[in-house]
Amino acid sequence: MKTTEFIDILKESLEIDDSEVLEDTDLKSLDNYDSLAILSIIALIDEHFGKKIKGEQFKNISTVKSLMTLIGMDNFDE
Amino acid sequence: MITMNPFSLQDKNIIITGASQGIGKQCAIICSELGANVILLARNTERLSAVCNSLKTANHLYFSIDMIQCDQLEPIIQKAVQTVGKITGIIHSAGVEMTLPLRSMKVEHYQNVYAVNSIAGFELARIVSKTKYLNDEGGSFVFIASIMGVLGQMGKVGYCSSKGALIAGVRAMALELAAKKVRVNSISPALVETEMAHKIFEGISDEAKAAILKMHPLGLGKPEDVAYACAFLLSDSSRWMTGSNLVLDGGYSAR
Repeated sequence: MKTTEFIDILKESLEIDDSEVLEDTDLKSLDNYDSLAILSIIALIDEHFGKKIKGEQFKNISTVKSLMTLIGMDNFDE
Repeated sequence: MITMNPFSLQDKNIIITGASQGIGKQCAIICSELGANVILLARNTERLSAVCNSLKTANHLYFSIDMIQCDQLEPIIQKAVQTVGKITGIIHSAGVEMTLPLRSMKVEHYQNVYAVNSIAGFELARIVSKTKYLNDEGGSFVFIASIMGVLGQMGKVGYCSSKGALIAGVRAMALELAAKKVRVNSISPALVETEMAHKIFEGISDEAKAAILKMHPLGLGKPEDVAYACAFLLSDSSRWMTGSNLVLDGGYSAR
């Protein structure tokens, strides 16, 4: 999956229309980033990458890039 | 003076779904202690066998079935009736958990959770209430719902609605089956210490765990708490109770 595509899916999941979201965007700075958002992200990772991520793994997640690293960078094209 | 034990389940034939672990397993143990013959249904044959072997000796049976495949239910019930006789009661304890925000829900998520939690239970009731399978003296059907079927919780639209469906369906079934002397009730527990609960706890923060514990004035429930309530509803002591939802939540909903 292309990084831009992933960011679009992430934005849709978090219902972010206007804000620019980049790889180095701090997820915790986003308005809609709460416990429900984390559950949504876990669901989309399962759906798009077939990976099961636990909520506690999000303790160390800060940026979009760190989320991509958790998923595995080999899942992403440039 | 009471000459018989109104809480006895002696010689009652009771089908229990989700019987290989958690609440269902404990129901099997308690029912057998009270004299019932139990017919255990679940997916895992090894676990079912272990549960069956741990029960007080009687005419117990077990069958491996995925409750999503309701078409497999009637042949099993037919075999059970041929082996131990007509059915007196059911406990529908099989269930799946689902924590997913509304925005992430897809149609198949609802279908999956309703299939096991709600539809399988209704199908079980439909089949067992047939005259050829149902004890001539009537019986008692118990559905394990959830306090989440009464209250709401964020991220639980699938699970809450599946359990709410059970609670509402119980009332309709109670009215329809009264003529056959079948009582139909649900039990709505809050969080009970089971494998399912353990899995839920695994995925959440320590703060969230502490918050959940704090919401239970009497602490978390144990499977036997629910099993004792099932035994009451299956026994003659609850003769006049039908169409009810027994809230069993350690005070969770009292606030």
